[in-house]
Amino acid sequence: MSALPHLSDLAAAPLDSLRADVWRAASLAPACAETVPTGEALLDAQLPGGGWPRGALTELLQDPGVHAEWRLLLPALAQCGTGPVALVAAPHRPFAPALQAQGLDAQRLLWLCAANASAADALWASEQALRCAAIDAVLAWLPQARPEQLRRLHSAAAEHHKLLFVVRDARAQAQASPAVLRLHIGPDADAALRVHIVKRRGPALQTPLRLAARPAVLLRLLAAHAPLQALSPVPALQPVRQHHTGPAAPPVRRFAA
Amino acid sequence: MNPYWLALGVPASAAAAGRAGEGGLAAPLLALGWWSLQFTPWVAQIEDALVLEISASERLFGGRQALVQALLDPVHAPLVAHFAHGATALLALARLRIAPLCTPQALAAPVLAPDDLPVHTLAAAQAHLATLERLGCRTWGQLRALPRGGVARRFGAGMLGALDQAYGTAPETYAWLRLPEVFEASLELAAQVESAPALLFGARRLLAQLQVWLRARQHGVQALELRWQLDARRANAQHHDAHHSGTGIGRLEIRTAQATPDPRHLERLLAERLAHVSLPAPVLVLALRSLQTCALPGQSQSLLPETLHTGDSLQQLLERVAARLGPASVLLAQLQSDHRPECMQHWHSPASAQRPIPTRDAPPAAAALYPSWLLAAPQGLGLTPDGAPLWHGPLALLAGPQRLEQQAWDTGPGVQRDYYIAHSQAHGLLWVYCERLAGAQAPQPQWYLHGVFG
Repeated sequence: MSALPHLSDLAAAPLDSLRADVWRAASLAPACAETVPTGEALLDAQLPGGGWPRGALTELLQDPGVHAEWRLLLPALAQCGTGPVALVAAPHRPFAPALQAQGLDAQRLLWLCAANASAADALWASEQALRCAAIDAVLAWLPQARPEQLRRLHSAAAEHHKLLFVVRDARAQAQASPAVLRLHIGPDADAALRVHIVKRRGPALQTPLRLAARPAVLLRLLAAHAPLQALSPVPALQPVRQHHTGPAAPPVRRFAA
Repeated sequence: MNPYWLALGVPASAAAAGRAGEGGLAAPLLALGWWSLQFTPWVAQIEDALVLEISASERLFGGRQALVQALLDPVHAPLVAHFAHGATALLALARLRIAPLCTPQALAAPVLAPDDLPVHTLAAAQAHLATLERLGCRTWGQLRALPRGGVARRFGAGMLGALDQAYGTAPETYAWLRLPEVFEASLELAAQVESAPALLFGARRLLAQLQVWLRARQHGVQALELRWQLDARRANAQHHDAHHSGTGIGRLEIRTAQATPDPRHLERLLAERLAHVSLPAPVLVLALRSLQTCALPGQSQSLLPETLHTGDSLQQLLERVAARLGPASVLLAQLQSDHRPECMQHWHSPASAQRPIPTRDAPPAAAALYPSWLLAAPQGLGLTPDGAPLWHGPLALLAGPQRLEQQAWDTGPGVQRDYYIAHSQAHGLLWVYCERLAGAQAPQPQWYLHGVFG
């Protein structure tokens, strides 16, 4: 008799119990590390482990000029810890009051490479931030990063157990990437967020997800204005009326005398 | 209690190479002296060796052998030393020249009696070795047997005095070593250094020396000054720039927010700063001086694995990035109590002295309606023929207006801004405003893009 198990026995064996990084083609991989919930149940259901992987590279791809990363990442960043969140080479000035109102404390924001840093400097600063014990998450805008440089960041994140998000141009989608999770994000109709999971440890997802991913108060404001919107898609030029009696009357603020 | 002396010397190979894998020390014997000061206050340097009187502190350290073991500790001692022992300093020194010992166990081994030591091991006899040889006088015992009057007349009173001290019949006093209040060390470079980053190799030896000093004082360093002397024969040694003041001496100051006893962080900072220095002339001499130090509290060690830190501290990260990319590239956010969007936050460098006064108020609940990106300067928008704002296609105004008065005591005439949330087909939600001059009827309202809902 052969000592080898029969093929049918092997198929019947619980594959999940063999190794954490082996999974069936039709199902999602088991979580091999700790994950942080994304705050969107629809997205959590599609991600291995039910959230953003800690200690691995997550890549966000966006079309040029689109900046939708905050709405997707804010819930996770707000609850990932109490240490600083490093923003490396951010394309614009982050607006701390709005981020704090959505849960990410302004004291936790650390903006690195704020002034005209080169691509090499941004990579260096990202790696230094990953190697810092106090920092909880690193969010880096690296449009020109090459795969081997991303791999280096990935291993630094794995070594120090950090959340790492790299934001890149959607044109990089054809390139190979060491990221365990790649998402193509962009605005959709009705101010929703379209999330297309390009790469994950699991079966390919053909249809993009549609997420609201907005603070509830903003959604309510937009819903309240929707009837007006239906009447005139592009309002005429005198939108400011002194006797405005709409649902959101213009709050006039003055400097307290 | 009888005095008991140790003589410590640095083996020639260790002095040349330093410890394996390290750059070595700028002044190895002095570092060894600073290290020895924790075992006894009576440490002196004689020629190229150290002598220590340890009879008073033997009991504190658990016996003679335990003290020598701690003194030669291969992990903590600044360098590998060899030693000899005796009842007087000159006796220990003479034995160090003849047969240096390396391990504390060798303390128990039999040693050469004083009378049998060769005369060349006595420093006072060095000048008269040829005469003594012709006399047939080769050992300390033979020298001591000569008539004292004749020896004093022929070789001077110094020889007799040294001999008395060596046999313990006259007291020994030396210039005792003291730990300086301010660290200052200089290093003559083996070769001319032409580029500033190459100065780091010399600076590393000075930093290793600094570490020994800091450990002995139990201090951490907060500010350091590195100085270098340019070759004065070069024409442009009188160069003026940020680091050179025209006197032929360049200087670089390093500051750190947290006092550190570990020179590795200082070395990284120094490397980043030196990368920005250009030397007008070759450098011959380097010097390092401590400007500001403070006492460090003791740290208690933990056995629990989760309390062990992996990686650098936040302060080290901020300082290293600022040293390499400039202080303006590291910014922290600070909320301000103001209603104008651009004044609601202040991004400041952690190193800058001008810190904004932190506000205690949480941002208003309406801040959740604000965009997550705020453009540094509002961007003017074009208009469609029918007067709607235009940015990569026409914008649909979804919500608004929210009127914010721009007037404040520190600005000029008031400007009103009506903020709208607009939708762009390609870029999602945007925050735009229409500017209106207060009071006056502006002929054409101006539209600006001020934020992006990321």
